[in-house]
Amino acid sequence: MTDIRIDVAVIGAGPAGVAAGIGAREAGAEHVVVFERDWDLGGILQQCIHPGFGLHTFKEELTGPEYMHRWIERAHGAGVTFRTNTMVFRMEEDGSFWTMNPNEGIRHVHAGAIVLGMGCRERPLGAIRVPGSRPAGIYTAGTAQRFVNMEGYMPGNRVVVLGSGDIGLIMARRMMWEGASVEGVFEIMSWPGGLRRNIAQCLDDYGIPFYLDHTVTRVHGKDRLEGVTVAKVDANKKPILGTERFVACDTLLLAVGLIPENELSRMAGVQIHPVTGGPVVNQCLQTTRENVFAAGNVVIVYDLVDWVSAEGYKAGKNAALFALDGLPKATRRFDVRGGENVRLFSPQWLSDQEDATIFLRVTKPVEQRCRVTADHGLFSKTLRYARPGEMNEVHIKAEQLRMLPPDVREITVDVEEE
Amino acid sequence: MIQRLFDVIIIGAGIVGAALARELSAYAMRVAVLDKAAEIPSGASRANSAMIHAGYDDKPGTQKARFCPSGNRRFHELQGPLDFTLRECGSYVCAFEEDEIRHLDALLDQGKRNGVPGMEIISGDTLRDREPHASREIRAALWAPSGAIVNNFEAVLAFMDNAQQNGVELFLETQVTGLLCSEEKQEVFGVETTKGRFLAPVVINAAGVHAGEISRMAGEESVRIRPTRGEYFITDKTVGHLVKGFFFACPSAKGKGITVASTAEHNLLIGPTSTPQTDLEDTSTTMKGLEEVLDGARKLVPDIPSGAVITSFAGVRANTLSGDFNIAVLRKPRGFVNVAGIKSPGFTSAPAIALHVVEMLREELADRVIMTPNPHFVPERTHIPRFAELSMEEREALVRRDPRFAQIVCRCETVTEAQVVEAIRRGARTVAAVKIWTRAGAGRCQGGFCGPRVADILARELGIPLEEVTRHGGHSRLLVGRTKEYWFRGNE
Repeated sequence: MTDIRIDVAVIGAGPAGVAAGIGAREAGAEHVVVFERDWDLGGILQQCIHPGFGLHTFKEELTGPEYMHRWIERAHGAGVTFRTNTMVFRMEEDGSFWTMNPNEGIRHVHAGAIVLGMGCRERPLGAIRVPGSRPAGIYTAGTAQRFVNMEGYMPGNRVVVLGSGDIGLIMARRMMWEGASVEGVFEIMSWPGGLRRNIAQCLDDYGIPFYLDHTVTRVHGKDRLEGVTVAKVDANKKPILGTERFVACDTLLLAVGLIPENELSRMAGVQIHPVTGGPVVNQCLQTTRENVFAAGNVVIVYDLVDWVSAEGYKAGKNAALFALDGLPKATRRFDVRGGENVRLFSPQWLSDQEDATIFLRVTKPVEQRCRVTADHGLFSKTLRYARPGEMNEVHIKAEQLRMLPPDVREITVDVEEE
Repeated sequence: MIQRLFDVIIIGAGIVGAALARELSAYAMRVAVLDKAAEIPSGASRANSAMIHAGYDDKPGTQKARFCPSGNRRFHELQGPLDFTLRECGSYVCAFEEDEIRHLDALLDQGKRNGVPGMEIISGDTLRDREPHASREIRAALWAPSGAIVNNFEAVLAFMDNAQQNGVELFLETQVTGLLCSEEKQEVFGVETTKGRFLAPVVINAAGVHAGEISRMAGEESVRIRPTRGEYFITDKTVGHLVKGFFFACPSAKGKGITVASTAEHNLLIGPTSTPQTDLEDTSTTMKGLEEVLDGARKLVPDIPSGAVITSFAGVRANTLSGDFNIAVLRKPRGFVNVAGIKSPGFTSAPAIALHVVEMLREELADRVIMTPNPHFVPERTHIPRFAELSMEEREALVRRDPRFAQIVCRCETVTEAQVVEAIRRGARTVAAVKIWTRAGAGRCQGGFCGPRVADILARELGIPLEEVTRHGGHSRLLVGRTKEYWFRGNE
């Protein structure tokens, strides 16, 4: 077995990982390697051929591949090394890890610091426990997207979408463009899971029916899917008797949530937050293992890729500083708490050495003016609305943190109606 | 019309058919195994508790009581030579009430009479010392150390694979549509199938839930299958550590009740329900079933989180009226053998039943089949390497041998391309078959990522277009065509 020593290792060459590679190089790390299990760079954005990426970063609307192309070019320019088709299949508690690919076999990699950028995966049917048979024709929206956009195959002709996450909405439109009929999008919650702009651009513009407070209660068909039973749900999300109806279809696409992919993080002994499903981090994206950093959807599922890249860059920079002994240690630390109407947030704690952005999502939509605040007068901002599908930011300066009275150990973030 | 000539035809490639095929492959004869499914195991051998029962459940004197403990021993014996996963975890029957504790005594006594080794009744506290997550409400438990967890997929494949190595021929997607008999059903001489005629002087009915239909073709009405569906749920491996042994609630009139066990791969398997139905094939799961299973499982192990479920399935048990196995050489038609009603503990009993059936052929059908030893019989085989379970050195060695062992196909279960290719070489033709052989797609993402890659490899290795790859045979194609076809159609 070959042992490899490098300065900064990044796992995953999606938007977080590629930016982390750049961040690490630009902060002075010499030997920066990004390991990617897919054949190509770009992560899931390779299959996201619809526009709408990069509005924050590049001030223009790009497709997923175009967006990633710019970052990858920049990474090559910065001297980042990529290893594609290389699986990191095991991680040790000291942060070293094992990779393999058919050309190089198995390698044991030791790095001064690591950035985890594995992204997230889609929740499968079993996880949401839809009863019935198990025929062909049930796909996560992302799998279907890969088939249609990258491989050129149609998964089916008559489609029902369960869940209203963004990929599901985009795939509803995409399937329609390819000539399939889309019978409807069914969402168990009382509000959409994805961005409002996707409801408008993918469903409303194409006349695809959208049903809130609905779910699929049964799957039918032995070999290939023949239909689903849908029903309206009550306040406890239980199907209401008598509202069931059969919808004929040969394809069920699932857009029922994304789960940060943290199997390797767990092997590294990194503490995982029970609500976000990602590592507990501070604003430097440092995990509970000080040589392991994490960024992007592996930490918390973002709705805009621009944020994923920005956080990736930051994680790479800090990982390089750590490897070079240049990351200032926290002299004080503040735990972040989610207060009123906050479902999840990241980071979970703040060091007094760095400016911080706290990302948070609300539990329930507020369709009127509301305030996002951090207590101790650290931050306050008025919004026209706050919706679970869209993330909010709280900005705090390091010097503000340093000026807090010595007994302050916690910072609570809230979203309240005005 | 294609006609093929054999000495023995076995209908059904479940655990009974596979174990029997393997035992018969020790003899110099041509054996065909027919199964209507596109992959094995299907039916009850695929969807069950994956338990090798100790053998205390059944009344002394029954065929179940006879074959279960000996089947258990046979499974332990064959685990090494046939290379399937068997974990000697032992089993607990848990008692919550006074009358249930009395029932444990009765089971202990029955087990002793059936020849089950090493059983004892332990207190709830002793149980919790060994199994810290067991419910505080459990007052006593019957411990049977010979109870074991088996990888039921691997076991069926192992028997069948070894049988095939020794010359047995397996025909999948081959449904028996009729029995070929002489006039007035005096003698059987073969079967009619969806793939043509198969001729043989001996036909063995090991058709599981369909054994009644096959038996009726022979004019024998005594086999009446009354199917009951059992729903099961599988959790993520992150909670597999909650139990080590196999947990049963005290049995009731409905059956052995809900069980909790850590599978051979350390997922938790919980279930089953017991729902009588008329449909022999309906393996759908229900909302109610899940609740029943979770409630029952939590009664035994309260710490099971509901969010940990990654998939569900249901099996249909081949219950019979008598409640016992129905193993018999028919007088008429001569040459026809029923191995029917093999419900729980049927999986456990199968290897013992197989030896018994071989004896029956030797003693009762000597005029129709000659039993001389197969000079080329090889009693052992190896499974496809289980890459995920190997040491780093062993993995290195495999990668040096074949670089495709360094190409990951299934991320969740660490299944490599070399394993998938080998599964196809050994007969896997569908995405489900690859999963059965290798566990690709059996993990927490349930094939979301590896499904398309497995399909690609199947298409490549089988030399078929991707659109023809199926999930589980028949009309279960994954894809309906190329993109843009709609527009071309529109322009015509």
